[in-house]
Amino acid sequence: MFYLSLIEHTLRLPPHLLSLPLNEAIRGELEGLFVDKVIANLGLGISIYDIRSIDGGFIYPSEGASTYTVKFRLVVFRPFVGEVITARLKESNAEGLRLSLGFFDDIYVPAPLMPVPSRSEPDPENKNQVRWIWMFDEQEYPIDGVDEIRFQVHNVSYPSIPLEQDKDSKPFAPMVIKGSLDADGLGPISWWI
Amino acid sequence: MKILEANAGALTNFEVLDFLRSRGAGRDPTRVLVSVEPSEFKVYDYLEQTAACNQTRQSIDEFLRKCKSIKLAKAEILNIINVRPSSLVELYPIIEEYDTRFGEAAETMEEFVESVVQLLPAPPNQMESEQEAATDQTEAPDGEKTEVAE
Repeated sequence: MFYLSLIEHTLRLPPHLLSLPLNEAIRGELEGLFVDKVIANLGLGISIYDIRSIDGGFIYPSEGASTYTVKFRLVVFRPFVGEVITARLKESNAEGLRLSLGFFDDIYVPAPLMPVPSRSEPDPENKNQVRWIWMFDEQEYPIDGVDEIRFQVHNVSYPSIPLEQDKDSKPFAPMVIKGSLDADGLGPISWWI
Repeated sequence: MKILEANAGALTNFEVLDFLRSRGAGRDPTRVLVSVEPSEFKVYDYLEQTAACNQTRQSIDEFLRKCKSIKLAKAEILNIINVRPSSLVELYPIIEEYDTRFGEAAETMEEFVESVVQLLPAPPNQMESEQEAATDQTEAPDGEKTEVAE
């Protein structure tokens, strides 16, 4: 689920940070640049793990700031295909489920990857939502928001930034995980305990 | 930005949680004084709810030694540590092609799941239900007291 990635970056250190120790100042700048940001094909930046080396410190002509080349390791969130992760239910509609990890919300379980056979019925408590029900041995197992849900990663995609966006479309997500519930042992934890 | 090494090593949930704790995420109730970003607190909150929150380096080391007896891929071991399956059916989706690889060795797998339960501590929400199950079995004399407390 989490990996370390070694990254080299050249950054300009603004002069108002000169009062801080160099390590701290660069760490703060890197956190602003990489933490909680998605890097395409790498994953979501979680935290700066350590700084390996700081080189340079040149002041280029006509600039009032020094420029450093930094090598550092970043903790990234990048699930692998086939990984089993525990999440919570965020939305449930006719197209499938949307799950959330708290720090990452763009996990979708489309209808074809729901447990087979399953059906959906309108949620009595919420007009816009539906409730998915897995039918097994003539018993019904509903998916409600009470339990944590285990899903298996089906694929991870990094959509490119759209040039035009409709007014009522969903907000753009730079990293989308498609999950599956269609195997034994997946779904709300209470189904299996 | 240049990515020198996209994969410089995988981390278990426990290692990430340990790292965030060492930065001071667990010590500050106000969440303002320590230099931990709000997004890092979200990760911390998530990990505190998973099996990682009670694990220690020793328990994971011991579990890794136990894993050597069974042919598992590194990613599968990592996933088992993160999820901590407490029954065979929970282990099933984690292991690729379970039926062809371990379909016949049902007994050894059951032993393996038992060792998972023994060596890795339970996540906080499951701990209560497991404890309740244990007290139900032994018919604890202070059963009435706990009912009152609830």
